[in-house]
Amino acid sequence: MKIGLELHQRLDTNKLFCNCSSKLDDEEPNLTLVRRLHPVFSELGEIDEASRIEYTKRKVFEYQVFRNNNCLVETDEEPPHPLNLEALKTVLNIALQLHASPVDEVHIMRKMVIDGSNTSGFQRTAIIALDGHLDTPKGLVRISTMALEEESAGIVSASSSKTTYRLDRLGIPLIEITTAPDIKDADHLKEVAEKLGMILRATGKVARGLGTVRQDVNISTGGGARVEIKGAQDLKTLPLLVETEQKRQLELVKILAELRQRKAIPIKKHAKDVTDIFKKTEAKLIKNSLDSGAFVLAQKLQNHAGILGKQIQKGKRYGTELSDYAKLAGVKGIIHSDESLSKYGISESEEKALREGLHAKEEDAFVLIVAPKEQANKAMDHVIFRANMDFVPEETRRANPDGTTNFMRPLPGRARLYPETDIPPVPVTKEFLSSIEKTESLDEKQHKLEKMLNKEMANKIIRSRHLHLFERIVETGADPMLVATTIENTIISLRREGVEFKDLEEPLLELFEEYAKGTFVKAAIPDVLKFMAKGARVEAILKVYRLQKITSKDLEKLVIQNSYDMKTVMQKYRLQVDPQEVAEIIKKKRHSEYV
Amino acid sequence: MEKLKNIGIGDIVRIISHDREFTGLLMPRPFSGDPDIIVIKLESGYNVGLKFDSIELIESSEAKELPKHKHEKSKKGDISILGCGGTIASRIEYKTGAVYPSITPQELRTVFPALEKWPIHSRQIFSLFSEDMNATHWRMLADEIEKEVKNGARGVVVMHGTDTMAYTSAAVSFMLQDLPVPVVFVGSQRSSDRPSSENETNLLNSVFSATKNVGEVMVCMHSSTNDDYCHLHRGTRVRKMHTSRRDAFRSIGTSPLFAVDYRTERFDPLSEYKPRSKKLISKKTMNDNVALIYTHPNIKPELISKLDSYDGIVLVGTGLGHVPANPFDDKTVSSIYKPVQELIQSGIPVVMTSQCISGRICMRVYATGRMLMQAGVIGDGADWTPESAYVKLCWAVGQTKDMKKIEELMMTNIAGEITDRSTLEES
Repeated sequence: MKIGLELHQRLDTNKLFCNCSSKLDDEEPNLTLVRRLHPVFSELGEIDEASRIEYTKRKVFEYQVFRNNNCLVETDEEPPHPLNLEALKTVLNIALQLHASPVDEVHIMRKMVIDGSNTSGFQRTAIIALDGHLDTPKGLVRISTMALEEESAGIVSASSSKTTYRLDRLGIPLIEITTAPDIKDADHLKEVAEKLGMILRATGKVARGLGTVRQDVNISTGGGARVEIKGAQDLKTLPLLVETEQKRQLELVKILAELRQRKAIPIKKHAKDVTDIFKKTEAKLIKNSLDSGAFVLAQKLQNHAGILGKQIQKGKRYGTELSDYAKLAGVKGIIHSDESLSKYGISESEEKALREGLHAKEEDAFVLIVAPKEQANKAMDHVIFRANMDFVPEETRRANPDGTTNFMRPLPGRARLYPETDIPPVPVTKEFLSSIEKTESLDEKQHKLEKMLNKEMANKIIRSRHLHLFERIVETGADPMLVATTIENTIISLRREGVEFKDLEEPLLELFEEYAKGTFVKAAIPDVLKFMAKGARVEAILKVYRLQKITSKDLEKLVIQNSYDMKTVMQKYRLQVDPQEVAEIIKKKRHSEYV
Repeated sequence: MEKLKNIGIGDIVRIISHDREFTGLLMPRPFSGDPDIIVIKLESGYNVGLKFDSIELIESSEAKELPKHKHEKSKKGDISILGCGGTIASRIEYKTGAVYPSITPQELRTVFPALEKWPIHSRQIFSLFSEDMNATHWRMLADEIEKEVKNGARGVVVMHGTDTMAYTSAAVSFMLQDLPVPVVFVGSQRSSDRPSSENETNLLNSVFSATKNVGEVMVCMHSSTNDDYCHLHRGTRVRKMHTSRRDAFRSIGTSPLFAVDYRTERFDPLSEYKPRSKKLISKKTMNDNVALIYTHPNIKPELISKLDSYDGIVLVGTGLGHVPANPFDDKTVSSIYKPVQELIQSGIPVVMTSQCISGRICMRVYATGRMLMQAGVIGDGADWTPESAYVKLCWAVGQTKDMKKIEELMMTNIAGEITDRSTLEES
């Protein structure tokens, strides 16, 4: 098995080809557009298969436009501005840390994607550096390419005829790091992804927060095919994805062997309109569709009995593979004879009539598609196209949270990449390279952190997505250990209690600025944060909730009132007094008594 | 480039660059830059520019011949599609670096499958960026359109670059009057090498419109930023009003003629139009020796007096139709009144238009305008666009040399370039 990783991370700069902000706030869209896309010929005179399939869906795309994040560039109404040089420098900086060799001239390419996720019908992308490597305990992992590309639009909803996207995130710069298939196994994959993530965060130039990083996994197995799995949400699911995919390919290879032995493929299309059989059907799904003008198309798959029902992933059968292809035509799925047809309400007599009509014997299987005529025909074409594949197909698949995957589209070929004629190439000269601000490497950073924190906490912070925030607060003079425990412990236990921060940066900066003034004590931090999460300012919180620090004369009075008993004072005023100061006062008193 | 001997674009090469080895397809450089850098297409499809120490040929590309399309005979009743260039239907072959217009019916139907619905024939007349076109090309195009009409085309569609489309549409409007078929100009703001190009919607709507009972020269472009329906604008009233937006084309001072959507077969008239007429009037002589001058503060009288070799001049004045004329005899003012007057006296017609783009020339209102009218500047009462007035003057001085007749022709509405009412909602 060969495993490669493709890591995408948003950069913390303005957009890649215009001056819109990359900071997303959850405002409402101020405008909606409607567009369509169609395939075009590549520079080599080819039309990419993935694009062609997408076009057959003939979808309409609706785009939500956001005032702060969108201009005529994202709405495809103005040529792109020149490449954002700050983003380019960020990638070059990371490239040098990964020992990659920058290209001498950056050529921006258009990656054709006509599923509507880019208003232009392509994603702009460029290779910035080649041929780097990453050291890992399990060996060297080569970095084939490092690219700079634009983020796509976010999907809001999709139906068979229309997909709605939001454009706010379209055009945010992404760094794409692609490794060679040097990753040994599922655990190694997780390690590599983790380490790359740390290197990126260490630069302090990448965006933080959910959804700013994505990992795609390339897997190929012996006898199987190269499959790209997109959209793994977190590192934890990576090992599971690898195992599931390995198993899926293995099962497909077994099924292929059996199909060959049974002489079950190729299958010729002789789909039959069997709507009449279901005229009086009790099957709700079919009945409802027929009422709205759909018809029922059936196709025999010779010698396929039992094959469609074979499980290849958890809860997914070979039939699911065919069904995923049918969905390309916009249908909801297929019904096949290896399923329990009574589950759909299809009666035994209807099944019998079907088998007779299709001349299907016991060893044959069949597929039903319920949809408008043209759509059903197209969907059946896709089913037969997939069923006739005498190999494990190269595909792009979407990761599900349970580790299974679904077919998205055929693996795009090189016909998908065309030069972006609107933007001249960008030379990467020696002078330009020397103008790049070199940030600390991961090792340097680790070393520095170990000096300020203990080893355990240093390890936590360097892996934290709040590393950059930690550094910013420490720069203001705050105690590193206190900042680290607040970020890594306090915030996390507060979250368990249901206290959530939309953004940590502002509240924590304010918290430590106030703390430095000595207006409250360490023990009050969790309580102060609790109220800050609701949007309150520190000053107000201290007043309203009586969390101000008690000092000097007031503290002395208090200690006297409580008979110089440390325990009582702390029990009563834990959130307002500094134990050290209390101890100080008690010590002074004892000292005076002694004297 | 000594190192590149015997190696050509499209060949597979291996290079050593920065002590590393790369293999890929040698690509042309569409933008000139550092001559020591070559562009190769890697296996992944990406192009990268690399400095190289050595290069060797791995595999020579076979010269790929362009697919030859068999000639399709035109039939009576076809929609005739004429190509003038522009990016509405073209294809870039980076292997050779050349741009090929996709213009044969087969190519068009490959790119726009929905064209199947209509019988078409098509022909490339020339392939130019529209900013390179001039009166010679207007004439060539008018000749071809006339030929198509005489051969029985049901309608004519002209694919054209967008920059000067409004000039050409106005020119054809004056040269070919009383049209027996619709002549529909169409272009696209997004180039055809983008999946998002609006060329598909625009072209199909223009072909659909060319089947209709309309005898006008029109421009068919997006009505809004959405890919839904198009507007058909009158050839003499249309103007490109944005550098890049899909809905850049607007009718000035009037409603568009139609809203059209081939998908729903919608063809709604939005203002009065001429139906197909019985007999074409052809008056194709143009004189290209006409200047269009945008006036401005600080304009020098010498600039105007140097225009005496022209056969006609259109001024794009300010406001209601003004240029610096100094009616108050102020010593601090530099006026161009005198050279304008001298040009007219020497027999060169001068026509007024306005930088406001929208609205009517009303030179009788202020002293400046009255002076200009007295000097013989033509245009009071006309609500033409500067471009339309310019093209019309080229045409008028092509038709006659008589100053009086030129003024008469200019002030008579020929193809909708002058309207007699400015309705409130449109201004």
